[in-house]
Amino acid sequence: MNQTNFVHESYAQRIWRRFRAEPFARNGLWTILVLFAVAALAPFLANSHAIIRVADGRVTFPIFPSLEPIEWRFLLYVPLAGLAWLFRRRLFARPLGGATFLLALVILIEVWLVFHHVVNDPTNDRDRPAAFKLMPLVPFSPVETASEPFLPPSWTHPCGTDSTGRDIAARMLHGARTSLSIGFVAQSIALSIGVTLGSLAGYYRSWPDIAICRLIEIMDCFPPLLLILVAVSLFESQNNMFYIMAVIGLTTWTGMARLVRGEFLRLSGLPFTLAAQAIGAGDLRVIVRHILPNALGPILVAGTFGVASTILLESSLSFLGFGMQAPTPSWGDILGESRLYIDFAWWLAFFPGLAILITIMSYNFVGEGLRDAVDPRLRIK
Amino acid sequence: MALLHVENLGIHFGPPEDPVRAVDGISFEMAAGETMALVGESGSGKSVTALALTRLLASPPARYVSGRIEFEGRDVLRLPERELRALRGSGIAYVFQEPSSSLNPVFTIGYQIREAIDLHRPEIRDVTGEIVRALDTVGIREPEKRLNDYPHQLSGGMQQRVMIAMALACRPRLLVADEPTTALDVTIQKQIMDLLKALKQQSNMAILLITHNFGLVADFADRVLVMFQGRIVESGPTAEVLRNPQHLYTRALIECVPKLGQKQRRLKVIDYAGIN
Ligand SMILES: Nc1ncnc2c1ncn2[C@@H]1O[C@H](COP(=O)(O)OP(=O)(O)OP(=O)(O)O)[C@@H](O)[C@H]1O
Ligand SMILES: [Mg+2]
Repeated sequence: MNQTNFVHESYAQRIWRRFRAEPFARNGLWTILVLFAVAALAPFLANSHAIIRVADGRVTFPIFPSLEPIEWRFLLYVPLAGLAWLFRRRLFARPLGGATFLLALVILIEVWLVFHHVVNDPTNDRDRPAAFKLMPLVPFSPVETASEPFLPPSWTHPCGTDSTGRDIAARMLHGARTSLSIGFVAQSIALSIGVTLGSLAGYYRSWPDIAICRLIEIMDCFPPLLLILVAVSLFESQNNMFYIMAVIGLTTWTGMARLVRGEFLRLSGLPFTLAAQAIGAGDLRVIVRHILPNALGPILVAGTFGVASTILLESSLSFLGFGMQAPTPSWGDILGESRLYIDFAWWLAFFPGLAILITIMSYNFVGEGLRDAVDPRLRIK
Repeated sequence: MALLHVENLGIHFGPPEDPVRAVDGISFEMAAGETMALVGESGSGKSVTALALTRLLASPPARYVSGRIEFEGRDVLRLPERELRALRGSGIAYVFQEPSSSLNPVFTIGYQIREAIDLHRPEIRDVTGEIVRALDTVGIREPEKRLNDYPHQLSGGMQQRVMIAMALACRPRLLVADEPTTALDVTIQKQIMDLLKALKQQSNMAILLITHNFGLVADFADRVLVMFQGRIVESGPTAEVLRNPQHLYTRALIECVPKLGQKQRRLKVIDYAGIN
């Protein structure tokens, strides 16, 4: 039946419907969501402290005082993002109000984290007697020397142990946080810079465009990995995750800037831009509220692929020994260590390699699904 | 005092040594509430003139080389950016040629009219009621339902009505309609022209109708300006210009309109050799 029916469907709804119709994209998205949940809950999945401990007639939750700021961030921000998505209608009924509310929450959390004191308790609850205790799935912390080095996978250590006897499964679960957040935050930085510069160049044309295009060309003369290695060796504070994020973000924005510039060149020539200016909308309003929403599809697609390549970049950095430094776990770091022992300890390379592969593939499936969903020429049910 | 006063306006494109004189020293006036038609063939500089009235023409590439534009006594070409934005919409509002691409495809029409109201009449409390009224004024049936529609869900004629509603929502003193019916088919053209006529009678808003079709002008405009190659070659009360065109080009344009009941073998084509 070829029947035309006018369904009330917004642009976003249409993309979402077409996206969901593709099994690879859908499963990729689920995998990413599960990975984020794992990263957020890592302290409760792998820890040497008990989740609940009842001893001497007192009930305690030993994990909470030992949570690092980054662990709090994941624990609070991932559910916050989920809730914001669930209540997006009510939250963004007034876009500015919703954004202000979220920003206020984020600032509140960050300020609290600055004054928050982390208790560093080296004891573990595995062997400590208690009337009742609920241990995490993997009862080891990612940094403690828990057993013999180079134990192959077993029931106690499902992914084996590394050269210093740390549990690989625990390191993998906590490493998810590093890889995912670096991928996400670094790409967000790249996206912000790329979208800002690209939209200015495409909207104003003439000299801003010339200046920004030259800057892009200069940046593109150097491979990002080279720039990052130089930046990392220039500064010493290598163990700071935000530092790695910033360096990766600051060196990988050119592709996004090119894309956004092209979209703005095209869209700012269309009559609706002129119509917006004609009712008295200022440049900022035209850029942000009129043109940008029309470019969101391609930006989202490029951003998704960007996250995948950023995660890979971080893994390469860690592998080369320039990324996050021990004892902070990251997949690339475990993989990097494996290269010395690959002839007898296959599990050191296998598990982090698999995790990176699955993550990258999931992001690429989502990116491809999005690309097909925003392309009106492709016919998807 | 005239509502709009344009004097010796000159707008060039391209290299200064060898410019395209899109508008070449034109002068005219409009009184409050007056309807005027600006007629001329494609490329004669009508749209450039219209956009220049609120400095909508980006510079570069355009160069405002000479003249003054005064709207309600204010010098538009020297107005600071902030006042210029206030003037766009509430002073002079536009309706453009292509309704399908003049509406933003990713927003509902209600949202787009709301923006016009938010920008120019922030004092209004019941904005949704005002949007419904605006859509009702331009003859859109069941406006309460329609305001949640996206532009692609409307027909071309309805899209143009929405554009008009958006312009009117700003309560302008002057409405510039730049070939508002060219992209529409003939029956819809008539409906839109009837709507503009009705609006003209209801309000005391001035209307500048831009067209290359003399047929639309006769029972609409009080006065006519004829533009040819960036210059105004003839102006006067509509009836007079139609009855007794002075310039050869005007005569040629009038003859281009096919008349009802008159047998014509072929459509007249303008003979430029005779005019220049
Ligand atoms: N952005 C531009 N760059 C260069 N030249 C331009 C530009 N815009 C307009 N022109 C020139 O200005 C002249 C007048 O154009 P304008 O759009 O005002 O014509 P018009 O009378 O509105 O025609 P139409 O009936 O086709 O809309 C044309 O010769 C055109 O080439
Ligand atoms: Mg025109």
